[in-house]
Amino acid sequence: MDEREEEQLLQQITTREYKEGFVTDVRQDFIPKGLNEDIIRTISARKEEPAWLLEFRLDAFRRWQRMEMPRWPHLDLPEIDFQNIIYYAAPRKDADRPKEIDPKLEETFEKLGIPVRERAALAGVVAVDAVFDSVSVATTFRASLAEKGIIFCSFSEAVKEHPDLVRKYLASVVPPGDNYFAALNSAVFSDGSFCYIPKGVKCPMELSSYFRINAAGTGQFERTLIVADEGSSVSYMEGCTAPMRDEQQLHAAVVEIIVEKDADVKYSTVQNWYPGDEQGRGGILNLVTKRGLCRGEGSHLSWTQVETGSAVTWKYPSTILQGDHSSSEFYSVAVTNHFQQADTGTKMIHQGRDTRSRIVSKGISAGRSQNSYRGLVRMGPGAAGARNFSQCDSLLIGSLCGAHTFPDIRSLNPSAVVEHEATTSKISDEQLFYCTQRGLTAEDAVGLIVNGYAQEVLSRLPMEFAVEARALLQVSLEGSVG
Amino acid sequence: MVSSNSDFAPASAGHGRYAPFPVPSGSGVVRVPAGTSLQRVFVFPDMCPDDVPAALVLAQEAKADLVFVVLPGSSARIPLTVDLAGPEAQVRLRGLFLSDGEDEVRITVTVHHRHPHCQSRQLFNGILAGKARGTFHGTVIVAPDAQGTEAYQENHNIILGEAARMETQPVLEIYADDVKCSHGATVGALDENEHFYMRSRGIPEAEARVLQILSFLSPVLDAIPDEEQRAALTARVEEAALRCTGL
Repeated sequence: MDEREEEQLLQQITTREYKEGFVTDVRQDFIPKGLNEDIIRTISARKEEPAWLLEFRLDAFRRWQRMEMPRWPHLDLPEIDFQNIIYYAAPRKDADRPKEIDPKLEETFEKLGIPVRERAALAGVVAVDAVFDSVSVATTFRASLAEKGIIFCSFSEAVKEHPDLVRKYLASVVPPGDNYFAALNSAVFSDGSFCYIPKGVKCPMELSSYFRINAAGTGQFERTLIVADEGSSVSYMEGCTAPMRDEQQLHAAVVEIIVEKDADVKYSTVQNWYPGDEQGRGGILNLVTKRGLCRGEGSHLSWTQVETGSAVTWKYPSTILQGDHSSSEFYSVAVTNHFQQADTGTKMIHQGRDTRSRIVSKGISAGRSQNSYRGLVRMGPGAAGARNFSQCDSLLIGSLCGAHTFPDIRSLNPSAVVEHEATTSKISDEQLFYCTQRGLTAEDAVGLIVNGYAQEVLSRLPMEFAVEARALLQVSLEGSVG
Repeated sequence: MVSSNSDFAPASAGHGRYAPFPVPSGSGVVRVPAGTSLQRVFVFPDMCPDDVPAALVLAQEAKADLVFVVLPGSSARIPLTVDLAGPEAQVRLRGLFLSDGEDEVRITVTVHHRHPHCQSRQLFNGILAGKARGTFHGTVIVAPDAQGTEAYQENHNIILGEAARMETQPVLEIYADDVKCSHGATVGALDENEHFYMRSRGIPEAEARVLQILSFLSPVLDAIPDEEQRAALTARVEEAALRCTGL
């Protein structure tokens, strides 16, 4: 590539837009900055929570105070000043129309392509729970889902309307003291989605949560709880974006999934938080704990994630395979460019007999980014006949980035079989030459090759997401060739 | 029941960036001068732990080929750092272990590619019977300037004993782009189909098991250059394999 072309590319990068990077000007209620027991009491009071939930938060906070920031990830994490964060921000409701959605918020979500009003005419109906900063602004199709006995609402509403269910399942997979950020989340979590699929019910539409950070100086701490009762099935999608800012913002979520006997849950994420600019300024610190429990016999949980955003990603969607014959899969594409850092992977904890898991991870690093796969496969003493297969590939674009693989395999059972393989390579000159001599630009060629490389994972995404994910891959790698 | 994220072992280098540790020096460091080659076979429990170098430093175009054989009755610790400190250096590490009873084998290998066009190949195969415990921590670090690196790392394990356990962590840390790096790790049992094949042809159970173990370990045994030594060690491995099957 000659100098002029390179310059052009550089121009493109610097003017490249994160199209979700706008700010919505809406009147918001904040609570004061800082983190202490009073703040937690304030959050709990704002949300009109029962006493047991406040106790749960305070217990988690006390645990968190005794814990230390994890230093083991392969990340250059900035010091986080937890006292300099606003833990609760909510768009103000107008007194004259308390039930209506603020038109500005509706506009925001429309702009992001998220319908917050029910439009049955749309092909491929999706029920959406839209979360703006610390509160859920709308959940669509609640009534038609309720006919089947499915509960799909914001977490705060679930606490009020289904306290027994929430109390039974909350923290049953990720206990409050599980890790530093899970403890923080348990203390200050604001809103998220709650989903319950009753026995034998197949959810007729995709359920989806969309998380939006808007206010400056805040953090988002969402909590999602999905319960699939015996023989039920559901496909759940999650998306997220944030405005472009020079400061880094913290996002520490907890997702818990309980899968009962013969139930089937598919959880898909397209993570597109603001990744920071090309100098590495700003961006979201995405430090989340996601875990599912395959509790019943024959239960199945599938994770699919496309990670293109965030300045820092620290995320290991995991499955505990407790029920005999239960199975789980993890499909991941993680793309990092510029100064982004990702340390992501999964944990498959096999406890039951004849449990199965499969891990397919595709990392793509470009620019000066660092991209790590970290995974744990553990075969417990009871995991007779269990099987795991892991395949982790890394693709390097440019000589200044890094790609790392940290698998951890532990077997305590003589009849369990674990297989892991990983490769690291760059896009070969032959591949590029083949494409460019057929008239593709270098950029398009890379896009094509990367899409092919990630195909195995992308094909697992629900249709609504697959198109978006493909486009995101292209954008994330813009300007990485040269 | 629920495990926490802190299960993971800490990263070997700096946090997120390439942070090289200095080239090893001092006692226990074996230097392989430019253009020369080194070949060694280490047998446990025959050797005392001090016989194994703590680190190997390879200069330009130097070659090293090490073979490790760990027989039952030895809780071997093999901590080895290989520093490819000159371009086009090549290292080949192969090891096998047969562990029984309360044996505990720990293999910790770090291979550091600092310069362009170096090659490293690792192969460690292990059998764990009784209450044996094995750990393999293998790290390959490829520095930003080490273009044209080829690094391969393999660790395969077979668990025979109900109470035996294995932990393996093959780590790749790569900071250069023009590289060919791969690793593979497996933990499992002896293949029942192979066993059935032999039994259906009249091979007694114990002999069939020993044959399976020998074929699993043979890629390492074949690497022993001296014919006499290879034959002697193969005989010892065969005897140990029979004991490990418990038949």
